[in-house]
Amino acid sequence: MNGGVRSAARHALGWLVVANAVGLWLSLLLLFPKWQVGEWTYGRWVPVHLNGQLYGWTALPMVAWLFGVYGVSRRWADAALGAWSAALAVGGLSWLNGGSSGKIFLDWKGGALAGLLVAMGILWVALWRGECRWRPVLRWGGLVGLAMIPVMMAVAASPELYPPIDSTTGGPTGSSLLGSTLFVVGLMMLLPASVGLRLATDGRTGRIVLGYFGLSWAVFGVTEFLGGTHWDFWQEGAMVMLVPWVVGLPIWWRRYEWPEGTQWWRQAMFGWWALLVLSGVTAYFPDVLDRLKFTQGLVAHSHLAMAGFTTSFCACLLRLLGVNLGSRFSAWLWQGAAWVMVGVLMGMGWAEGGGVAWMAENPGWRIAGWGIRSGCGVVMLAVSLHWWLAAGVSGESKCGAKA
Amino acid sequence: MKIQARAAGAVAAVYGFFLIFAQFAFVELLRGHGAGPAAEKWALGAMAVAGIAAGFGVAKRGATVVGLRLALVLAACAAVLAPWASGGVSGMGVAVLTGLAVGGGTVSLAALLPGWCGARWIGWGTGLGYAICNVPWVFSASPEMQAWIGAGFALLGSWLVPSGLEEQRVPSGPSHGEVGVGGAVVAVGVFLALVWLDSAAFFIIQHERDLKEGTWGGAMLWRNAGLHLLAGGLAGEWLARRVWKEPVAVAWGVLAIAALAVNHPSTRGLAGWMYPVGVSIYSAALVTWPGWAGRSSTVVWRAAWVFAVAGWFGSANGIGMAQALQRVPWEFVAISGAGLALALTGWRAWRQWLAVGGVLGIACWRSQGGTGASRETAEERGRQVYLAEGCIACHSRFVRPEDPEGWGPPSNVDKVLHERPVTIGNRRQGPDLTHVGARRSAAWLKEHFLAPQKWVVGSPMPSYAHLFEDDRGADLIAWLMSDQEDAREWRGVRSLEWRPEGEPEGEGSRLFAAHCAVCHGPEGRGDGEFAKRWVRQPANLVEGPFVWTVDASTVARAIHWGLPGTDMPGHELLSDGETLALAKWVLALRTGGKPEE
Repeated sequence: MNGGVRSAARHALGWLVVANAVGLWLSLLLLFPKWQVGEWTYGRWVPVHLNGQLYGWTALPMVAWLFGVYGVSRRWADAALGAWSAALAVGGLSWLNGGSSGKIFLDWKGGALAGLLVAMGILWVALWRGECRWRPVLRWGGLVGLAMIPVMMAVAASPELYPPIDSTTGGPTGSSLLGSTLFVVGLMMLLPASVGLRLATDGRTGRIVLGYFGLSWAVFGVTEFLGGTHWDFWQEGAMVMLVPWVVGLPIWWRRYEWPEGTQWWRQAMFGWWALLVLSGVTAYFPDVLDRLKFTQGLVAHSHLAMAGFTTSFCACLLRLLGVNLGSRFSAWLWQGAAWVMVGVLMGMGWAEGGGVAWMAENPGWRIAGWGIRSGCGVVMLAVSLHWWLAAGVSGESKCGAKA
Repeated sequence: MKIQARAAGAVAAVYGFFLIFAQFAFVELLRGHGAGPAAEKWALGAMAVAGIAAGFGVAKRGATVVGLRLALVLAACAAVLAPWASGGVSGMGVAVLTGLAVGGGTVSLAALLPGWCGARWIGWGTGLGYAICNVPWVFSASPEMQAWIGAGFALLGSWLVPSGLEEQRVPSGPSHGEVGVGGAVVAVGVFLALVWLDSAAFFIIQHERDLKEGTWGGAMLWRNAGLHLLAGGLAGEWLARRVWKEPVAVAWGVLAIAALAVNHPSTRGLAGWMYPVGVSIYSAALVTWPGWAGRSSTVVWRAAWVFAVAGWFGSANGIGMAQALQRVPWEFVAISGAGLALALTGWRAWRQWLAVGGVLGIACWRSQGGTGASRETAEERGRQVYLAEGCIACHSRFVRPEDPEGWGPPSNVDKVLHERPVTIGNRRQGPDLTHVGARRSAAWLKEHFLAPQKWVVGSPMPSYAHLFEDDRGADLIAWLMSDQEDAREWRGVRSLEWRPEGEPEGEGSRLFAAHCAVCHGPEGRGDGEFAKRWVRQPANLVEGPFVWTVDASTVARAIHWGLPGTDMPGHELLSDGETLALAKWVLALRTGGKPEE
């Protein structure tokens, strides 16, 4: 395994531990509000949790993937990772110090934003210095594309910019949800070939999936132009375009020869993926969305996306890169805790959606739900700690030179 | 008794003597005898010089069990003499005696320990030593009594020192590889930073009355004792896995948080949790490290250097810094952290630290400069407070057409999107705040920020009292009140049209106690716990204003929508049935709680 990949895995899992610890703390603060410590309020810890999960646990396995692809040396990888973690730590201190911009998941401003952009620049230099096995045109194409990310980040983090909203909910439109999901789909389609997995079947099914990918983007373009609300059939149609991807992605991945050690996590990931897409599409429809909007139901859906799908994807990616994630039992524990948490929060959200006073009038159910959520948080924190420790142990790469 | 247990007991006893006598009681006794700051400094300086000299003396002659026992007996003598020593020559004599005993004893012990036990026992011994000193009876005893307790610790330690190895001048403990001069310098530097940080934080905690009471007062002592024991023991278990850099790095992180937390009144509670943990972890590592690596013949020299430089020099500088600045500057924390990181990872990682330094440097540089807050209005500043506190994590600011009518008129999308940044939010742990100024008075909002559970039973919202230590609370309220005009007329029309549906639900008396008694009093006489907080005292519901009211719906309307222009809030989360039950109970108060027909 590339030394830089192992370093990236340890940083990623380290941030997973930190973000999970903060998440657990947040869940406990809901149960025991008096535990809040002075200036470090619940609202200030929230971006530390969210961004730790996104820019730490989710982003860094992809950085590990890039290290593998670009053949980055251990020393340059450590430099880039040190800068990335320092930027995220600065961000954490900034949010705890009240330096929030108010843009969820793009909560970077001032010194924290500058630090993140510098870290992205150092990462780019590390990739440029690497010994990439790709053809020059692909290598430079990738580098040019990656050079755009800091620019896009600076633009997206600006308070001046806000995406179109559904005027009846204040949330995203169906088309913008389609677009952001297609971006994830594209990344996942790129993954197997980029790590050197060989094709196992002919290209016919691949061409069908690619064709549907193009069609999906076309629908996105049209519906984004039209705008509208979740009461408009074209916006609902945009969301329905996601349903075939429940099978489309597994079909795409099945075309490749996968190393044995990744099968469990692939199955887990596609299980969550199916649930994520189907529940997301269902939750967009009139009356369902009106019931779930602003409730624990959407918190459940966020955890379904991050604790369920994204974590399984990142774990699968790390296994593919040869990272040891400890025992299978720990993986089952994580999945179990994530399922219970999502289920309980979804149940609470559905009840809350029936009457805005449900949370206030049913303290017993509310406390029980949040208590179970905290219990799941304890399990997930322990598992992430186990993974972090295990990633430091030299693990046998399941895909060897292919990765 | 097993040799390992005796060794751990000796560690606990030496720590106990040092903490309770050398660090606490001796200084208090000097002050009690009228010694001024100058005499105190001279005495402590003499103690440090004697300690360093004794440590190197042991290193030169070799550590022996007999020497260790003698040092501990000497320590007991110093503690016994201390209550009679004045601030003059006798005080100086006790200081020198204490220094000789502590310096010689600690170096001898650290050098002999590898032959007796592993890091696990050292860790538990360290935790035990700290824990005993935090037992309230020990911690709160008079300085004279603490001197006697210190003497007891020293004699107990002398007895616990394992016997049977007297002839072995240089014990042969397990070796984990060779530590060169460079490695030793790095380790001494690392421990220097830790002791410096510890001493500065300790001094500030000691000299701030509220902080001391908040961290070492009453039941906190038992908590601290438990934390010390657990952290020391777990650090020992960790060190036993043949790592020392990681525990030391964690100890620095925890101590850094504690040191920064003591600087601000609102985060000092956190320091009370962090400080014992950080101190116990690094203290276990400090005693373990000399025997950690290298030839066993050099163990005693490593002990002498680490205790001389890190122990004596570090603590003197930490206290000096805290005395001069009355705080732990964040620059010191950052520099010590950077130095520690560089020392632990080595020079070969220069790229990494250059990159980290670049990120931190740019971030600090871009964070400089004011926000121009003085030029902003209270409402604009209040909006910044809303963003900074992350209110958006629990409150939306977007009323949907389908939302319950209590929140106010549906939001104007163009107006919402015109805000920079947009504050729609995505989750309601609490109510929508779009038109909260039309639903609640500024005075009510302030009271709610101070103690949310007083006003909303079972509310998960924590207190934000700290915002009212400066202008942030007032600014935030100014902003929340700023858009009420949009909703006032809408609410006026809707409230007149509104009539509760269905039958009464629940017990009116129970609902009254939960939602109304805090202002109107348990019997509705307007004399509740918080009645005096308002400009106008809450209504006496027994004698008016509903004394001639017949229709419960009229009362229900006031309960549901509140009374605009007063501090009476609406109760939008109560169902119609509950509102009706409450209204009937309010009417019944006129007759002493008997429902009227």
